[in-house]
Amino acid sequence: MEELQIQEFVHRVSTDEVLRKELATSPDTVIMREGFSPRVARVIMRLVPHLAMEKSLEPSLYFWSN
Amino acid sequence: MAPEMSDASQFSVSSMAAQQNILRERLHRLLATLHPLLQYDVLQALKGAGKLLSQPDTEINSLAPILPAGIWPLLTLLIAQHLSPDIHPEYASSVAVAVECFVCALDLLDDVEDDDQTPIVRAIGIPRVLNVSTALLSLTHRAILSVAEQAVDPAIIIRLLNALHECTLTATSGQHRDLLAESRSARNFSHEECIEIASAKAGSIMRLACRLGAICGGADDTLCDRFSELGELLGIAHQLDNDCHDLYYLLQDEKDAVIPVEASGTTRTSIKSDLKRGKKTLPVVLAEEIMAALQKAAESSDGESKRYRKALQEGIIATWGICLLYRERARERLQEIEVQKPVSPELLFLLGI
Repeated sequence: MEELQIQEFVHRVSTDEVLRKELATSPDTVIMREGFSPRVARVIMRLVPHLAMEKSLEPSLYFWSN
Repeated sequence: MAPEMSDASQFSVSSMAAQQNILRERLHRLLATLHPLLQYDVLQALKGAGKLLSQPDTEINSLAPILPAGIWPLLTLLIAQHLSPDIHPEYASSVAVAVECFVCALDLLDDVEDDDQTPIVRAIGIPRVLNVSTALLSLTHRAILSVAEQAVDPAIIIRLLNALHECTLTATSGQHRDLLAESRSARNFSHEECIEIASAKAGSIMRLACRLGAICGGADDTLCDRFSELGELLGIAHQLDNDCHDLYYLLQDEKDAVIPVEASGTTRTSIKSDLKRGKKTLPVVLAEEIMAALQKAAESSDGESKRYRKALQEGIIATWGICLLYRERARERLQEIEVQKPVSPELLFLLGI
């Protein structure tokens, strides 16, 4: 299940400093090693700056809030 | 990223404004049948933020793109026009304003059920809000039934009404589960349930907006289903995006405001607002799973408050990732739809993918 894959990967990166550093320096290598589907890989690539460098969350993607 | 008007400069702003005017004119004619006192309150509801009759927001906000008012009925209208460019404007706009009335009615019910002090609740009070919601639900049906005057096949009208009723039952089921979830512990709540509730609530409503446009535009069952799935996936993504951003900004605003509250008989650190109300949004449920794992591992010397904040931050990032996943799935549905014919830049802008 792709949702679970994302959730588990986020948790691993949050708790594993070595993985976090590797993700910051060579995200492609990490993503390839994890064997994600192209769809999940695209999502993880978007998450990398937030996971690896603790960047602020991007502005809301969507505007259907009203 | 959310589409900004500058990114979508391929389409004509005046074209979008013209569509809005068609919808507004149709909506005003629909409302003209109401008693003036009821009409006044219904108009107030339909002038709420983002609604079709709202005034444009002149405040500059770099975080929010400039958006057209009435995005729900515009979505229905543009899908109908995409599928059937020569569709009679009265037919398409009647179905589209039905969506506007329906969404507004459910929003009002949500306000009351969630005890939200929104501007309309503060302005007219709960009893009138509930009555306005009832009127809007009736206007939804009236708008759809009015297409009989355009000599629309009765079988199509029944399909439109069926889609509306299916959505009503799904959305109210989702809302019911959401309300019941408030009294349940987040630890006994699964992330699958969170997605199911998001799907039943936000997913089913955007599914309806797309499906009615597709039916109205004469799509066959396969294409109707594709548009419906596209709407549902975007609706779920939208809900998750809202949930994680609401919590994210709350954490940003309350850096030192993590407060202890009593929950389930144990002291639990929590954040104000939604958390206090017991809403089981996905980031909150994921944070509880993370907290349970951390406590089992007992490897952190951080205080509970700090650990909970960290767990919430991780829950927010994971939720945002899952939101992106649903958008990816929606994008794939759109690609399937576009095999037949590319959608207009206006519709692409509204879909936001």
